[in-house]
Amino acid sequence: MSEKSIRVENLIKNFGEGESLVEVIDGASFSIDKGELVALTAPSGAGKTTLLMMIGCVEEPTSGTIYLGDEKVYDNKWLTKETRKIRREKIGFIFQAHHLIPFLTVLENVTLVPQTNGISKKDSEKDAMELLKYFEISDKANATSAQLSGGQNQRVSIARALANKPEIILADEPTAALDLKRSVDVVKMLKKIAVDQNVAVVIVTHDEAMYPLCDRIIKIENKKVISTEVNS
Amino acid sequence: MINLAQKDIAHSLGKFIVTSMGVGMLLGIVLIMIGVYRGMIVDAQILLNDLDVDLWVVQEDTLGPFAEASRIHESLKETLRAIDGVDKAGALTFQNIQLPATPKPVRVVAVGFDPHGSFNAIKPERIIAGRTLQRSHYEIVVTDKTGFKVGETIKLGRNNFKVVGITKGTVSSGGDSLVYISLKDAQELQFSYSNNRIRNDKARGIINRDSHMVNTIVASLKPGYSNDMVANAIRRFKHKSVYTKAEQKTILTKNLVEKSSKQIGMFTAILVAVSTIIIALIIYTMTLEKMKEISIMKLIGIPNSLIIKMVVQETLLLAFIAFIFGNIFAYLIYDKFPKRVVLEMPDAWMLLIVIIVFAILSSLIGVKKVISADPAAAIGG
Repeated sequence: MSEKSIRVENLIKNFGEGESLVEVIDGASFSIDKGELVALTAPSGAGKTTLLMMIGCVEEPTSGTIYLGDEKVYDNKWLTKETRKIRREKIGFIFQAHHLIPFLTVLENVTLVPQTNGISKKDSEKDAMELLKYFEISDKANATSAQLSGGQNQRVSIARALANKPEIILADEPTAALDLKRSVDVVKMLKKIAVDQNVAVVIVTHDEAMYPLCDRIIKIENKKVISTEVNS
Repeated sequence: MINLAQKDIAHSLGKFIVTSMGVGMLLGIVLIMIGVYRGMIVDAQILLNDLDVDLWVVQEDTLGPFAEASRIHESLKETLRAIDGVDKAGALTFQNIQLPATPKPVRVVAVGFDPHGSFNAIKPERIIAGRTLQRSHYEIVVTDKTGFKVGETIKLGRNNFKVVGITKGTVSSGGDSLVYISLKDAQELQFSYSNNRIRNDKARGIINRDSHMVNTIVASLKPGYSNDMVANAIRRFKHKSVYTKAEQKTILTKNLVEKSSKQIGMFTAILVAVSTIIIALIIYTMTLEKMKEISIMKLIGIPNSLIIKMVVQETLLLAFIAFIFGNIFAYLIYDKFPKRVVLEMPDAWMLLIVIIVFAILSSLIGVKKVISADPAAAIGG
């Protein structure tokens, strides 16, 4: 039996109130298993990033329920004050741009979250070097992001997302700035990570060419999650 | 744990150092301002300490001879010598004069004393060239800052004076250089008028001109006599104001320097406020420049405490490096000032404490920005 990594029930998100009320998500319900790569897609402004941020404990929903792994983190209100701790311990984030901290080296960028989680400098650096080797950029461990190419930076940012051994990886349009070949490479890499690390990976994307590489596609249209179909 | 402040500073070290130097120069000026005040206090007491007398007798109901004008008869010194407890008494004059020098005249305070009298107004260790006054007329001892050399001649009033000695570090309470002439020459300079003026006065019926006036009589006491007791005796019987050395010191430092010290205090306070505002603005700008990174750090779960620690550490380091640069700057330029500047370590430590406290307060503006940073701002390109 598959193990649920993300479970969302009747999630609603509105902005504003009264006459200026804007309904963005209206009763989204879905789940994502561990080891699964899911594409989250919708027209521009339809709320896919908002949904991603709600799953990532960044944006507070209006109502509904969110489970991350076995833990219910939201039930019409956050069930913990430390949503940041949840992000730090359970979630890895990948962005459209690499968003590495420019004043830290590659190694420091990758070890920052684990060290904040209490992992020793020695252990976190050992784990980080293994990740950097996995992404074939261990020779750039002491370089800063300014000294790397775009592709290398993107690989470092993926390594950073994995450094805290997350249960979930949330990627916000990670292929938007890449050509088709590199986009395919990145999505294939994320699929491999999902399987190898047994994590749920959610990627926000407009690029239909990426859909065949994903296990499932979640579409949002007219505020509703209208389909959660298995990719075949 | 990674020290974010250290990494951020190392990343833009040149900018951080130059910024610290800029703030440091401001702090250096604060130190100089305090040093100017300290210098005024030292200057005010030089003549007092060089003479080292017990009592200063001046015109009744005045704070003479430095804080207020005072005129008394020279002969009072003979009377004082007869008072029980008085060991020695001598007359002194003080007057502002301009020495004719090139390229422009030098403003000085001339001290008149009797070279053959009980007190030598020139402390021997102050003389760096030549000698003290030995004759009753036409000799002058000047300070090195006037630019005159031993053997040169200076015209004062109707007479030429020969420079016989050079002193170092002798200034009046107002910071002007001191020169020394004999009492008789000083009286003539101060109280004798030109022939035209004498003729004019005679035509008006004014004929009584007494040039045997002085500004103060100073006295030292025999062992075993209290300053206050003898001072009271002089006040009661001679109708003069009498100040002990301690009282004269208070008059000089409080009455004479008080307003200047308030002025300098105001300047110093404004400079500290300006430095604080500048530090706050720098930290605010530095924080603004990092808002994207701060949002990313918040999004990936870095706690506020770690980010705030970075801002506060950077502020403190900026203040501390600026303080060091300020000290270096102050020590490099303090002796270039025309008046004495005295830099004291306790003042520097006090400034460090003040600037650290203000830096912590000014870092709050950056901290507020960190707290308000939206982690969602990291998403979306």
